[in-house]
Amino acid sequence: MIDAFLLIGLPYVAIAVCIFGTIYRLRAEKFTQSALSSQFLESNQLVWGSLPWHIGIGLIILAHLLALIFPGTWSGLMQNRTILYTTEGVGIALAVLAVAGLVVLIIRRITSARIQAVTSVMDLVILTLLLVQVGLGLATAAIYRWGAMWATAAATPYVWSLLTFQPDASYVSGLPLVIRGHIIGAWLIILLIPFSRLIHMFALPLDYLFRPPQKVVWINPRHQESAVELVEREAARRYFLKGAVGVAAGGTLLTVGAADKVFRFFFGPRLSEREEAKLMAIRVKRLEKTVEHKKYELERQQNDYIFVAKLSELEPRKGRYFIDYAMKPALAFKDTDGMPLLISAKCTHLGCTVGADCNAEGKILCPCHVSYFDIHTGKPNPDSPAKAPLPHIGWVLMDQDGKLVASKHADGSLTGRADPEKADTYSVFIAKYHERVEES
Amino acid sequence: MKPGTALRSVTDFLAGRFPVDKLDFHSMVEKKEVPLHKMSWGYYTGGLTLFFFLVQVVTGLLLLFYYQPTVSDAHASVEYITQHVACGALIRNMHAWSSSCMIFFVIVHLLVTFAMKAFEKPREITWIAGVMLLFLTFTFGFTGYLLPWNQIAVNATKVGLQSVEYAGAYLPGTLSELPRILRETFQGEASVGQSTLGRFYALHVVILPLCFVAVLGLHLLQVQLHGMSQGIDTPSPTSERFFPIFFSKDLEVWSVAFLILFVLALCLPFESFLPFPLLEPYDPLGATPAGIKPEWYFYFVYYPLELLPFWVIMLGSAVVAAGLFLTPWIFKGTSRKTLAFIAVAATLYLVVMTLFGEQIYHLVKG
Amino acid sequence: MSRESTLLVRANGIRIMLRLALVWPVLTGCALWTTAATAYPEFQQFTEKNSSRTTNCAMCHINPNGPVGEGDGQVGRLTDKELERLNKARSALEPGQDVDSPILNEFGNHIIKEIGKSKFLELRKDPGKLVEALGDKSDLDGDGIPDSREYAAGTDPLNKFHGDPWLLFVNNLKRELVHVALAIVATTALVFGLANFIRGLHVLTDRKPGSD
Repeated sequence: MIDAFLLIGLPYVAIAVCIFGTIYRLRAEKFTQSALSSQFLESNQLVWGSLPWHIGIGLIILAHLLALIFPGTWSGLMQNRTILYTTEGVGIALAVLAVAGLVVLIIRRITSARIQAVTSVMDLVILTLLLVQVGLGLATAAIYRWGAMWATAAATPYVWSLLTFQPDASYVSGLPLVIRGHIIGAWLIILLIPFSRLIHMFALPLDYLFRPPQKVVWINPRHQESAVELVEREAARRYFLKGAVGVAAGGTLLTVGAADKVFRFFFGPRLSEREEAKLMAIRVKRLEKTVEHKKYELERQQNDYIFVAKLSELEPRKGRYFIDYAMKPALAFKDTDGMPLLISAKCTHLGCTVGADCNAEGKILCPCHVSYFDIHTGKPNPDSPAKAPLPHIGWVLMDQDGKLVASKHADGSLTGRADPEKADTYSVFIAKYHERVEES
Repeated sequence: MKPGTALRSVTDFLAGRFPVDKLDFHSMVEKKEVPLHKMSWGYYTGGLTLFFFLVQVVTGLLLLFYYQPTVSDAHASVEYITQHVACGALIRNMHAWSSSCMIFFVIVHLLVTFAMKAFEKPREITWIAGVMLLFLTFTFGFTGYLLPWNQIAVNATKVGLQSVEYAGAYLPGTLSELPRILRETFQGEASVGQSTLGRFYALHVVILPLCFVAVLGLHLLQVQLHGMSQGIDTPSPTSERFFPIFFSKDLEVWSVAFLILFVLALCLPFESFLPFPLLEPYDPLGATPAGIKPEWYFYFVYYPLELLPFWVIMLGSAVVAAGLFLTPWIFKGTSRKTLAFIAVAATLYLVVMTLFGEQIYHLVKG
Repeated sequence: MSRESTLLVRANGIRIMLRLALVWPVLTGCALWTTAATAYPEFQQFTEKNSSRTTNCAMCHINPNGPVGEGDGQVGRLTDKELERLNKARSALEPGQDVDSPILNEFGNHIIKEIGKSKFLELRKDPGKLVEALGDKSDLDGDGIPDSREYAAGTDPLNKFHGDPWLLFVNNLKRELVHVALAIVATTALVFGLANFIRGLHVLTDRKPGSD
């Protein structure tokens, strides 16, 4: 019963009274369509009270109206988390701003003697009602999140049901007390519009936003000195306001856009197990490559001789790869005299590894830019992009007991003598320091 | 000259260049004016360079959280940043683009201040500090390029450092080993490897920023003490106040620069200009891919190096470097018209060699 | 022909076909097995010439130096299981088969899956036709440039940060248009706000000449 009265009866009464009361008042008492501004009586506190209040409540009411008139678009927008959080955040901030302003206005109205002289009971009633209403709204936003989303499913159909004369309070009768209080408060305020100064809402001073600032010129010499200061202060205030709006708008957008990304940047990417495993596999592979490289380096640092191949394994036309002491790729062939022929395999053009197979003319090919190198002289073909010859590498021959049998310097000088009958037992090594081998 | 007179001339010089009596709010903030004339756009170039440096500092600090300066992890950490860290790709790309922008504007600033004869007395120290900042900026670019440790990074650094060794051919006897020793000192080991990466990282992240900030402090202090130079031959009758008019305009220019940088970094990956084999992790045992060249801002010296004998480049660079440092004295009596001419000629050379260097190289080498 | 002889011919025909049916996979297997793992440089040559961008074997293969050798992703280092996968991939002559060759990367496997090995070998004579054969639908790295176009342009089809710079710019801009617009609004608002703040400060602190 109470629900039916407060949620259906009261709204209709309020709307009717508001409409007819306003029309009557506008026709009968035209000049009372005024906010009854007390700016001339007390202007300092007024600025700190009126501006935040009006800015806050104006934007909040605008948002409420948008959700009411365009519920489809509004709820579509609110599906986006970022937009939802922003709207709620900005709404709460505006509500706090409005409350702050309202509190200043209330304090002003009950402490300033000059203002009290022009205050009526209705003014105090309205102020209280507004404070309670915004308070309830804030409580709703805080306790029953997220209003911007659920309002289009509850409040909007309820209001439309009233306006289309098919009242259905079931949309909102089940809601918590705080929310119902907020709805009822709204109807009460609407009811009281024609009886209070709230009627000034219907004279929206939109052109105030665009009119140039008005300069008050004092003829009274007492005021003339402070006039300049006043103009400057007000000019400064206008700049600060514009500045605040710009910085607030830009700052909000920036925060909203960047905040979660900044947080996620420092929080670190939390990858799925599969992605982690994939990354770990890549990392292991790279580390293994480094380890392999380091193992080769270590081997070359620790050993005076590095094994290349058994002499019997070498072929005259197909080279075997090995890594020399400078950690560069090289090839080992069998020369025409049965001795090893070791040549660098790092192309002198851009460092590609030269291929191991000799063509019919005894040349090896670097496939990257097609340079042919003769393995005996190391010289590239005249039409090759490589210009410098591949250097030969010195080697030593050791028998199965590890005794040096023969050695050849990079410059070609041969020392020692290899026994062709024992060729099967010989192994080819590269040496860190080239020693002359005494012929035994 | 008597020692007393010599010392007094030094102190007079310093007193003229450091008018510390002007270090008050009134002179530095309230009275600071920016002349208005047809070259007034030049007054924004220094600020833009500073802006891009600040972007580098911020993005660099963010990259520092995830980058690992070891040969086995460097490339993988950069990949991790671009592929997995929130906004990592944007930050890395911004760092790359902003480095090019900073170097571009540092050169523009150099040419503009040269043409406006901003190095005139008493602004000699501003100029010298500026030239030091120029060299520091190029060193930033060179050291930073190595850090991703991909094929282009390591091989381009190798090519760059190798050029130091060419000087060895001109030195007699055992002195010819000196450039190689110098190069290996830069590298930290026989060939570019972990030592090089470690010290380039230390340079790029700590040492160079500290030096840069110190020299920048001197440079900005000088600008504050002496105010904006007049810029044209007859001092302009009109000027605007630095604070708030020029400062607001400067902010607007910075915001436009930021937006352009943001759109570029968001939409155009820096790597797309390089062939993909160059972006692979560096393989010390593998082939060197084709197309290795330094970053665009070194082209003006790289292609001449490939075309001309080394001694020409060495001599030319030494002359230019000395000329840059001694500009306030060499060009003391030069008219702004001549300075502008020299600046335009230098600009033409830089633009042609940077944009068409490769074509010229192929044309000459056939 | 008499009915008997027709049946005989048919029976013989079937016997021959059966024999062939048994022999032919073995023959094919032998043929494929004995074919050394050859890379197909015709495709790389085409893409380098067409785009004037340097490329390497890593566009389709795992190892940038190609499938021959003993490095990672090369034939010399494959385990037995991987060799099985390789042979299965090599015999995927017709399109539509699930291909997972251990020497090919995602793009390489995609090509074989899309057009089959026989068509691929045919295209060696005219590598440019691979662009049409692959079509425009596949974009493995999601950068907005179809893989076939990336192949023709010599850019990495598996790296979303690599592609023709202009195309990448346009595609990314389209995708991030909202962010760009919001960034422009935010920056403009901030600068407007800061400029006004500065002016306000200036008005308050400005000392008139002659005063004070």
